[in-house]
Amino acid sequence: MAQPLFLLAPPRSYTSLINAMLGQHPEAFGLPELCLFNGRRLKDLWTRETDEISDNTRARQGILRAVAEIYGGEQTKATVTMASHWAAAREDMPVGEVYRELVAKIDPLIPVEKSPAYTIALERMLAMDEAFPEARYLHLTRHPVGQCKSVMKMNWGAFALYVNSMEFQGDRAVIEPQYAWYDLNINILNFLDIIPEHRKLRVRGEDIMSDPPRQLAKICRWLAIRDDEQAVDDMMHPERSPFACFGPLTAMFGNDPNFLRGPTFRPHKVKVPRLDQPVPWRDDGEGLHPRVVELAQEFGY
Amino acid sequence: MVGDGNSPPPWRVPGKRPKLGPIQGDPVTTHPNLDALTPRQRALRTAVIQEFKAKKVKKFLEKQVEHLNTNRQVVEGIKFLFDEHGRPPRNAPLEDIVEQRRHIEYQIRWFEALLLELKNRLVKVKEIEDYAFEALGAEPLDEQ
Repeated sequence: MAQPLFLLAPPRSYTSLINAMLGQHPEAFGLPELCLFNGRRLKDLWTRETDEISDNTRARQGILRAVAEIYGGEQTKATVTMASHWAAAREDMPVGEVYRELVAKIDPLIPVEKSPAYTIALERMLAMDEAFPEARYLHLTRHPVGQCKSVMKMNWGAFALYVNSMEFQGDRAVIEPQYAWYDLNINILNFLDIIPEHRKLRVRGEDIMSDPPRQLAKICRWLAIRDDEQAVDDMMHPERSPFACFGPLTAMFGNDPNFLRGPTFRPHKVKVPRLDQPVPWRDDGEGLHPRVVELAQEFGY
Repeated sequence: MVGDGNSPPPWRVPGKRPKLGPIQGDPVTTHPNLDALTPRQRALRTAVIQEFKAKKVKKFLEKQVEHLNTNRQVVEGIKFLFDEHGRPPRNAPLEDIVEQRRHIEYQIRWFEALLLELKNRLVKVKEIEDYAFEALGAEPLDEQ
């Protein structure tokens, strides 16, 4: 059975686009965000984590869309209902087992998945390794300023708040997304310490955006799959993925809404900001934390 | 990991790089470790969350109001077309259903009154028509 390729990155790191690109390779199958390893059993996706900040109803929409597509051949209200029954029948199964069942169904295609929520906790990534001991991991990085700006732009920094990425400044607390950028990347690095070199690769998202054919071909060679012109051309069309659009009303998401709204790749040169300037989401003129700068430099920024 | 058969080999032990964020513990909001925070910091954190929630609710309401203002009449018109049986959704509040029932009953009474009035007018018009044709000594046009 083909082992999955997991993209590991904090959210807003080009993961949706790159996941869909790699998933369009003729030997791969790009999945929506399954979020399966967010819990231990499948029913955990249907359990409300907390009402402190938000609920997790969207987290289950990826698995519903995937099951609808893989088993029903299309994503409609009817196949999503079928997917709900499919999930109900497996609600007590460990998530690794459920995942393996899906992977077997699309075998021999290589499943490609990214759920940024996996990087929130080391335990989630260890569960991935336990379920798929031969899985490969692509660590996608993005410049901290670009990633943090993007996080803050989306729902007033909801994700940063969700992972308690905040700073206390005298008589106020503010959302500070760079802590999440740092801590989630640290989680990834700590996890990847247990993965042998040949099963992990680190790539800067900005490099893929700037020169996708070259970078995607490089990833293909690492995966030992075709890197010819046709395969690369297929990957240049993420919009052809069955998951690169809004799903039926009962499972509309399963990915970043911005990506679902406009999944087509448009070549562009990504500006890489400097690391020693004030950051735009703070009103006190402060810049990046020295440890954030250090890690960004380690990533080649 | 000498002497412990259950411990993973050294190359299977995850790294221990320290994190940076002031709030650690289970990183998902279910159980953040707030013990390291002072009561004041906890209160400040709660205030940030409340502010975020307020923004979210405000945005939601703005969207709903905009939607309602634009489409109120359309929504009224298609209220009973929400499902294929012409019934309101199963989760509709009981108060809404009662209100709708009363509204339809009112409309039926109104249409019944209108129908009665039209029937009365028709009778009167027919009488006038009959007198007219009688006076002329002719048959009504639709009976010729």
